[in-house]
Amino acid sequence: MKGFTAVLLIWTLISPSSSGGGSGEAWPTHLACRSGGLEVLYQSCDPLQDFGFSVDQCSKQLKSNLNIRFGIILRHDIKELFLDIALISKGSSILNFSYPICEEDQPKFSFCGRRKG
Amino acid sequence: MALDVGCFLLALLCSASCEVITSLDQTCIEEEANRTYNCENLGLREIPDTLSNATEILDFSFNFLPTIQNGTFSRLINLTFLDLTRCQINLIHEDTFESHRQLSTLVLTGNPLIFMAETALNGPKTLKHLFLIQTGISNLQFIPADNLENLESLYLGSNQISSIKFPKDFPTQNLKVLDFQNNAIHYLSREDLNSVESTDLSLNFNGNDIKGIEPGAFSSRVFQSLNFGGTSNLSVIFNGLQNSTTQSLWLGAFEDTSNQDISSAMLKGLCDMSVGSLNLQKNHFSDFTASTFQCLTRLWELDLTATHLKELPSSIEHMNLLKRLVLSGNKFDELCQINATNFSSLTHLYIKGNQKKLHLGAACLEKLKNLQKLDLSHDDIEDPDCCNPQLKGLIHLQSLNLSYNAPLGLQSQAFRECPRLEILDLAFTHLHVDASRSPFQDLHFLRVLNLSHCALDTSNRHLLAGLADLQYLDFSGNRFPGRTIPKTNLLQTVGSVEILILSSCDLLSIEPHAFHSLGNISHIDLSHNSLTHDSINSLSHLKEIYLNLAANNIGIIPAHLLPVLSQQSTINLSQNPLDCTCSNVRFLTWYKENLQKLESLEGTVCANPPALRGVELSAVQLSCGMTVLGIFFLIVFLFLFTILLIFAAQYILRWKYQHI
Repeated sequence: MKGFTAVLLIWTLISPSSSGGGSGEAWPTHLACRSGGLEVLYQSCDPLQDFGFSVDQCSKQLKSNLNIRFGIILRHDIKELFLDIALISKGSSILNFSYPICEEDQPKFSFCGRRKG
Repeated sequence: MALDVGCFLLALLCSASCEVITSLDQTCIEEEANRTYNCENLGLREIPDTLSNATEILDFSFNFLPTIQNGTFSRLINLTFLDLTRCQINLIHEDTFESHRQLSTLVLTGNPLIFMAETALNGPKTLKHLFLIQTGISNLQFIPADNLENLESLYLGSNQISSIKFPKDFPTQNLKVLDFQNNAIHYLSREDLNSVESTDLSLNFNGNDIKGIEPGAFSSRVFQSLNFGGTSNLSVIFNGLQNSTTQSLWLGAFEDTSNQDISSAMLKGLCDMSVGSLNLQKNHFSDFTASTFQCLTRLWELDLTATHLKELPSSIEHMNLLKRLVLSGNKFDELCQINATNFSSLTHLYIKGNQKKLHLGAACLEKLKNLQKLDLSHDDIEDPDCCNPQLKGLIHLQSLNLSYNAPLGLQSQAFRECPRLEILDLAFTHLHVDASRSPFQDLHFLRVLNLSHCALDTSNRHLLAGLADLQYLDFSGNRFPGRTIPKTNLLQTVGSVEILILSSCDLLSIEPHAFHSLGNISHIDLSHNSLTHDSINSLSHLKEIYLNLAANNIGIIPAHLLPVLSQQSTINLSQNPLDCTCSNVRFLTWYKENLQKLESLEGTVCANPPALRGVELSAVQLSCGMTVLGIFFLIVFLFLFTILLIFAAQYILRWKYQHI
């Protein structure tokens, strides 16, 4: 009896919580590309979901035609979409860059206007 | 034995409490009591009991309902809007919405539908908006036509549809919006278009590369709007739309689609159509001369955003009907290169985000006597002497946007040429104003002025002189000498202002009476500064205003300032390092008694003491000073202690006398 309760107590302490997402686990780190002596890794900061990002070439010198694969489930309609890049090295900011991808008066790409889901 | 049972019960309790915590995560958010609920992304497999029977608007997206049928939503008979995006729905059985008479909008986007019963959409009296985006539909016969007589919008984007021909029994007369974005429609025949019987339809073929249109398919049809965005060969469209009428024709291209150049010959097709507004964004013109405009003369709006233009032809004829012209994102060197004289009736002109430095020149827009709105933002415009020579002739201009440009030098009465200006936006454009000059003098009709982040010399007390009717002033991002707003300041000349924004001004303090002349004020934003409670003194004469003090340095608010806060209608104190100790207890009590006045309760948290850091102020319970009960126990204790002392004294004295 004593042994049984001891095992039960230990099990409740170490069994993982069943709710998943809210338990503070982060999304896994993925590989965006690996070539030319450079390896680029990324991790989703979106608490709701992970996304897919993959680039065909990865050398330190970017060639003119870069093919980017990107996949994400939209949680909102895309009426406006901005790309913000912030490069931080050792705590200090190197680069801050913002580029409008979709705006109401200039939808630059064919996916601008896609809806949630 | 008792110990064993006790341990066992403890173990059970531990495992039981884990269950309770996880199920608490799964309640829907009640956005409007008994009416609007958001159950997004909760892993639900059925409608939870916590939803009221009176629910009208329900967002149930990203849950798990592989099959829906007449029992699934039966309790919620008052539903008007139901969002079932990405619920993994495969089967929609008969009479699922039988009891939902009021249902008006149904969103089924992103569900891998393999079956919809004949009577799947029966029940709603007037189902108006139906979303079937990305549901794997390849044939319009998949959608049951029963009960769709009142349908106004049908969204069928991102499917595998190749023909838009509706089945005979499908009621299309009342359709206003038909969206076929990103399908596989390559050909439009007369039969296809005849199966859609509505007039004034907005028809969207964006992302379908239409390669052929049967001659006469659009003949004599009247549309509200037609969108053929991303079509690689626009001559197909210009030929195929012969004899049709549309308010709006969208033929833009995208960065990620390849398309052929537009030639002047192609645009001749517009002479056989009736078009009100034409959008050709991101297309490339193979030849661009006066004759390109030959068949554009009946347009009232022309959008040539990012069409790689360096200039417009000098003598274009008959463009005097055009009211709105968009030339954003092109490559003009000088404003005069747009040859505005060709467009004498223009009321709206947009040249935003020019890809080179735009030089305003002098009187380039002089002939545009009817111009009401001019957007020259994000153009890297730089001029030491603005803006009368540049804006000469724009006597009816109501709205001017010169934001996000390079530094401008403003003289006295800098906008004398535009006396009827009502809205002026200069945000993020540094302004050089000589000492004591009043650049906005005589703008009697100006209601809205945006001077955000203009690097202004705020010691110039005449800066805002002459703005008799100003209602809205955004003055954020401008610094004040000594990081304080003194008693006499430049705001004294704008007594009519109702909404004043002074956020991010790096302020440490505000002198009392600094806002004395703001008699009409109803909204003050002082967020993102470094103000302490002292500054609240300057607001003591104000009543019933919206006051934003978020992200400042407010720790303690002394009791004598609480009446000032009580006088206002809404206050935001979030993101302040608020003190939750007994030295601030009067404020904490006031806070809990005035929750209805406060905004952003979740962001208003304690910073001090460390044990309460991050706790919402509304949840803090403090007991400070002696309570009544404490005083009672103290008196009893002192009484008992006194009695004990008397007995002890008696005992010691007796002992002493006994030993004498």
